[in-house]
Amino acid sequence: MDSATGYLTTTVDSVVNWARSNSLMPMPMGLACCAIEMMAFGGPKYDVGRFGSEAMRFSPRQADLMIVAGWCSYKMAHAIRRVWDQMADPKWCIAMGACASSGGMHRCYGVVQGIDNFMPVDVYIPGCPPRPEAVIHALMDVQEKVRNEYSVAKDYASGPKKSTAEPISLGILTSDGRQTEVGA
Amino acid sequence: MSESLNFHFTPVDEARPDEENVHAKASTDVTDVIKAIQEQFPGAVTEVVVYAGEHTVFIAGEVFLQVCTALKEELGFTYLVDLAGVDRFREDAPRYEVYYCFVNLKAGKRLRIKVRVEEDDAVLPSITGLFKAADWNERECFDMLGIRFEGHPDLRRMYMPEDFAYHPQRKEFPLLGIPGSLPLPPRTPEGELTMDPFAAAHSGSPAKSYEEPAEHDED
Repeated sequence: MDSATGYLTTTVDSVVNWARSNSLMPMPMGLACCAIEMMAFGGPKYDVGRFGSEAMRFSPRQADLMIVAGWCSYKMAHAIRRVWDQMADPKWCIAMGACASSGGMHRCYGVVQGIDNFMPVDVYIPGCPPRPEAVIHALMDVQEKVRNEYSVAKDYASGPKKSTAEPISLGILTSDGRQTEVGA
Repeated sequence: MSESLNFHFTPVDEARPDEENVHAKASTDVTDVIKAIQEQFPGAVTEVVVYAGEHTVFIAGEVFLQVCTALKEELGFTYLVDLAGVDRFREDAPRYEVYYCFVNLKAGKRLRIKVRVEEDDAVLPSITGLFKAADWNERECFDMLGIRFEGHPDLRRMYMPEDFAYHPQRKEFPLLGIPGSLPLPPRTPEGELTMDPFAAAHSGSPAKSYEEPAEHDED
């Protein structure tokens, strides 16, 4: 039996994913006018606290969702990539607005033509700038993605599952990296 | 209604006297300042252009620093508002020009000065010794057009990376830049810099640092 499809792990998955998806902490990477709409998205009128994402974390160690809002220059790209690398796994990314998604109207020498040239993006938002509703929609899309992911059954650090002849036991990773047998 | 509508801000070629336009206050009419410069530095003023009641004074590059010193210390222009370069490629004989906007706060006068710069010898004296505000603007001008300011304390690039080889606001520089001149960050934490500006189109977006799990169902 595949370790990721057992009753226990899928149940734990759904609980963990439910918790994770309803407490996504965004790392606001405000670079331009989109950042103003992102502030409205976090503010009282649009109130993203309804989705559990009102706690903007300016430290990458505490964030798990990066919202790149605005045009990104080649110089800034290196800082964004570094902040992204400092964020703990698992992490998600929203490219907010036309500029972050594709360079937008800034088709020129200094602006990166879409942040997906140097970092993985989960959700793209069109618009210049997008309305806060669109950002909320993107957040809901990320939540949808989180809810459909495996969370505990796979060891993220070890990469893709190795094909072995021996059956893999059900297990949960403990904090010191050992696998403990659960109900096998 | 006896009063007629007056559009005080419509551009005209002559400077307006004070009583006619209460808003403009003839702040851009600087004929006496131009006269003072001409008397003190004969031959320094090469051209005076008047448009919409504003004087633009072209100053020869050799005496520019002395003129600025006199403007600040004798004529009361103590405030440097703006400074930037212009590329007049195939429009004007010396290719570049640098403009300076000064304000005399006491007299309420504004002065625009332009200095022409040759392409082969793109060097101007820095006025950071007189106006500290010129520091970053001169760096910007150097970064964008490659005009060197002699005597600037720290003439580094303002916007572009230090090792960038070009001056992007020169007219011959392609709008989309030169591929490979600006590196993108590595696609993995340990990887090499990406030199392709359209890496996503050529080899796909970078993957996440962990294996992204497949979705449970695809409905």
